[in-house]
Amino acid sequence: MFYWPAMDLFIWGLTGLYLATLSNNSKELIFVILNGLVFWIIIWRAQYEINVNILSEMWDKNLVNVVASPLTIWEWITSLIIVGFIKMIISLSFSAIIAFIFYQYNIFMFGLQLLPITIGLLLFGWSAGFIVAGFIVRYGIKIQTAAWTGVALIAPFSALYYPLSILPNWAQKIALVLPPSHIFEGMRDVLFKGYFPAEKLFIGFALNIPYLLLSLWFFVFMFNKSKKIGLGRLI
Amino acid sequence: MAEIVLKVKNLTKKFGEFTAVDDISFFLKEGEVLGLLGPNGAGKTTTIQMLLGVMESTSGDIVYFGKQFKKHREEILQLVNFSSTYISLPWHFTVLEILNIFAMLYQIPDKNKRIEKLLREFELDHMVKKQFFMLSEGEKTRLLLTKSFLNYPKILLLDEPTASLDPEIAVKIRNFLKKEKREYNVSMLFTSHNMAEVEEMCDRVIIIQKGKVTIEDTPENLTKQISTCKLELKIIKDNKRVLAFFEEKEIPFRSDRHNFTIVLDERNIADFLMLLASEKIDYEEISINKPDLEDVFLDIIRREKNDEPS
Repeated sequence: MFYWPAMDLFIWGLTGLYLATLSNNSKELIFVILNGLVFWIIIWRAQYEINVNILSEMWDKNLVNVVASPLTIWEWITSLIIVGFIKMIISLSFSAIIAFIFYQYNIFMFGLQLLPITIGLLLFGWSAGFIVAGFIVRYGIKIQTAAWTGVALIAPFSALYYPLSILPNWAQKIALVLPPSHIFEGMRDVLFKGYFPAEKLFIGFALNIPYLLLSLWFFVFMFNKSKKIGLGRLI
Repeated sequence: MAEIVLKVKNLTKKFGEFTAVDDISFFLKEGEVLGLLGPNGAGKTTTIQMLLGVMESTSGDIVYFGKQFKKHREEILQLVNFSSTYISLPWHFTVLEILNIFAMLYQIPDKNKRIEKLLREFELDHMVKKQFFMLSEGEKTRLLLTKSFLNYPKILLLDEPTASLDPEIAVKIRNFLKKEKREYNVSMLFTSHNMAEVEEMCDRVIIIQKGKVTIEDTPENLTKQISTCKLELKIIKDNKRVLAFFEEKEIPFRSDRHNFTIVLDERNIADFLMLLASEKIDYEEISINKPDLEDVFLDIIRREKNDEPS
């Protein structure tokens, strides 16, 4: 929760500071980097916590105890979301405090839009989490590295540190169907233009809903598919 | 007449072309302990997994308390619990944390009182703050059993519950299980490789072979199926003459210096001893060992290997 966000912020924050000395737009440049670092934590942590919590049950050989209890799959999903949310808030707050203390980067510069930005990124993190979780619950710990690498596949298309226009044409097409790219584009508009275009937030949300529904359906589908072979084999 | 609390009807599980459980049917009565036996790979674990709802059956019905398991899963699992040596519990949680979590999962109304009582019963009350990974194998098994009793279960599925326990604790656990059965009419489905334990605990036994229920009876009746018994004699004098006599009369025997083991029909023991007396063969010690469930089980396995009918 603390180590990697802190390391990222120190390494890339200092790199940003150095690059800023070579550029005229010094403050914006470092803020673009910090913005990507701090807010990517929301997506990454949301996805990671869902996956690692399921993997923990497998590592501890406790999955059968959970699945053979009266807990419903939707209660299980809810608990994964709640635990992940709490840890994400702690991790985000910690990173935001470090970014503020060391680089005077204030996440509250987004004002009230901070809330929909966070929710938008969180929803996408959960979607990614449940897609990866679907594979984990089906194939078990042999694909456990997906918990760490899964969402990283999306990062290059999420326009975290650079605008969409920098991406090659084919990659832009992929980025356009990913909610984070619209949200991060909007956040850069706050930094450079001083406002968050409502349509970008709206597109981000509109895309998030089918992603989340699809990911939940996929997780339940894979869970039931795995049950056909027997969840006992996963422990 | 005791009520049937679990009814398994034509349960089948196929993995592609392979049939792991083949159209099995059995029932469990209230307050009954039913032994589920069979060689490795017979389909016991698959059956238990389906009974717990962690594996979907290909066909057939599982009915608990008169209700279809598929339709009333949560309601039924509120009254069922299990323990297995093949599963574990969260490694970094303490004994008390683990029991609290499961008490909440099963929505136990008086959870603190229940946990305290069970911790005392299973002699874990002095290690509530120990993390699971710090427990010995026996303590881990006892904690799994404690967890299985948390929700005042009406049915317990116990997969080798006393494996890895030292004999003294195993006796205590068996006594506890018997007490729960007696006082609360708990029904149990019991698997074990310890046949003496099965004989002691189970009212009825079903044997699964190659996915099919081949035998269903009480342990007493099963042991009666084998009419032979082992007669053990300690003969000090005239060993050579005894050996020659057994060979001449074509009596099947095994010998180890002065100890002779003769397998013969229970009804022929008197005649055999009279024969020894007429030949003036003196023995120092004699013991007659009647067949136990282990002999029955081994006999079944032997017949399975030889493809003989059970």
